Amino acid sequence: MAVKNSDRYWNPVLETLPREKLRAMQFNKFKRIVEWGFHNSKMYRRKYDEAGFEPGDLKTWEDIGKVPMLQKDDYRSAQAKEPWPYGDSLCVPLEKVTEYHQTSGTTGQPVYQPDTWQDWEWWSESWAYILWAQGFRNTDRVFIPFGYNVFVAYWAGHYACEKIGCEVVPGGILNTEERLLKIQELKATALMATPTYVLNMADTCKRVLGKDASELTVRRILCAGEPGASVPTTKKRMEEAWGAKVFDHVGATEIGAWSYECTFQPGGIHVNEALFLVELVDIDTGLPIEELNKPGKIVITAFDRFAQPCIRFDSKDVSMWGEACACGRTFRLLKGGVHGRVDHITKVKGVLFSPVSVEEVVRGMPQLGDEYELIVSKKGDVDVITLKVELVPQAGVTPQEIQPELERQLRLKTNLAYKIEFHPFGSLPRYEVKAKRFKDLRHEHK
Amino acid sequence: MLAAEVNLKEMDALIKEVKGKIEKLVEISGGMQCVDRNCDRILASIKMLEINICDLQEILEKEAVQLNRN
Repeated sequence: MAVKNSDRYWNPVLETLPREKLRAMQFNKFKRIVEWGFHNSKMYRRKYDEAGFEPGDLKTWEDIGKVPMLQKDDYRSAQAKEPWPYGDSLCVPLEKVTEYHQTSGTTGQPVYQPDTWQDWEWWSESWAYILWAQGFRNTDRVFIPFGYNVFVAYWAGHYACEKIGCEVVPGGILNTEERLLKIQELKATALMATPTYVLNMADTCKRVLGKDASELTVRRILCAGEPGASVPTTKKRMEEAWGAKVFDHVGATEIGAWSYECTFQPGGIHVNEALFLVELVDIDTGLPIEELNKPGKIVITAFDRFAQPCIRFDSKDVSMWGEACACGRTFRLLKGGVHGRVDHITKVKGVLFSPVSVEEVVRGMPQLGDEYELIVSKKGDVDVITLKVELVPQAGVTPQEIQPELERQLRLKTNLAYKIEFHPFGSLPRYEVKAKRFKDLRHEHK
Repeated sequence: MLAAEVNLKEMDALIKEVKGKIEKLVEISGGMQCVDRNCDRILASIKMLEINICDLQEILEKEAVQLNRN
């Protein structure tokens, strides 16, 4: 078998595999993990029995939709059972578990995530696909400004950097200033962080070190945890601040590192279809979406994670299929990355509203700072959206001068009116990991 | 821009052979932890080779059998 541009891909065979062969392999692997879950996890057995489903029902690709979808609450319920702390979702003897992580608990009780050493090797393998696609090589010195802890975040990124031969600098317990000084001292060439923290670091660099982050040596930044690196205006801000290429990646504790932007920066993320099955389903009907540009909910299966399998997991993330990428990968592209979560995309004043679209407007106006806060509340029966922003110190405009343009752009982008508040620069909350900029307080008024 | 010729069938066979040898090593280790634990790690890495190579080869072989039948 001949493979072209073999240095561009981590696995040049699988990443460029003709779709029909890829699909055949996916179906085979899907059946295998469903069998595994059914026979080794009481949680899956219970769920499938209740739905009257058994693995033998999987005869064609179309049968995949018959497999009951898994919700985060299924893990939570299972984890109330034995063996502690993983409960009966666990598919291996407890002594085979070598890694503990947990979800951040943003949406409720954290889910505990067990992995065997093989599963952990698989995590770093899935990250190796990402890093390679984004141009990380063994000549890179990668700085990871992450508080190494129970959250999986950049742990697997660290191990994958080692796997592909990078030199890794763990910037764990240091504060932002110390991290910047270490990047400067070691001449780090690459960085991994949330978009919020990438901007925060650039801001600190200017304030505390008295220089632009672009004067440092970082030329490649991998982002995760928030949609920012797929929001064009946020990506532009980060790239300009650091003089670096910024790439998106999406993963989750319960799922794995399932997608990545490549160096072609096609305005979307590739699904790693060698390791995951990603289905896009209609938010209301649950029916599969194959056409391009139609938003749907992402449902994911990890083919090769065995301690606590992830089979047809309802991620609640929203995206849409996009055109094929020019990079040569046959892995499908999700246009615009993850657009938000089903539980954040909500109706305000009867209009479907996504907080990410506000970020695109705010970060597109150079007079405004990186931080903002969005609060939906009720005044009587009417929804009110308050947008808090900061003017940058050298904005050269007053709030009164810029407000009409901000309102106009917001109306164009979201079809909604906002109550805008200007706050002193540096006064809105700063975040190191996932930012919480959107608050829907309407239920508190009931 | 590298172009390469890869022989999936041969790689698949070698991966299986290496796996077999490591499993044999575990069988004869007499429970020596320094052997068993290191073999466990090697087997995890071999699984990654299976994911990258053998899982596809399995499909290609099934297709070839199907073609021969037809």
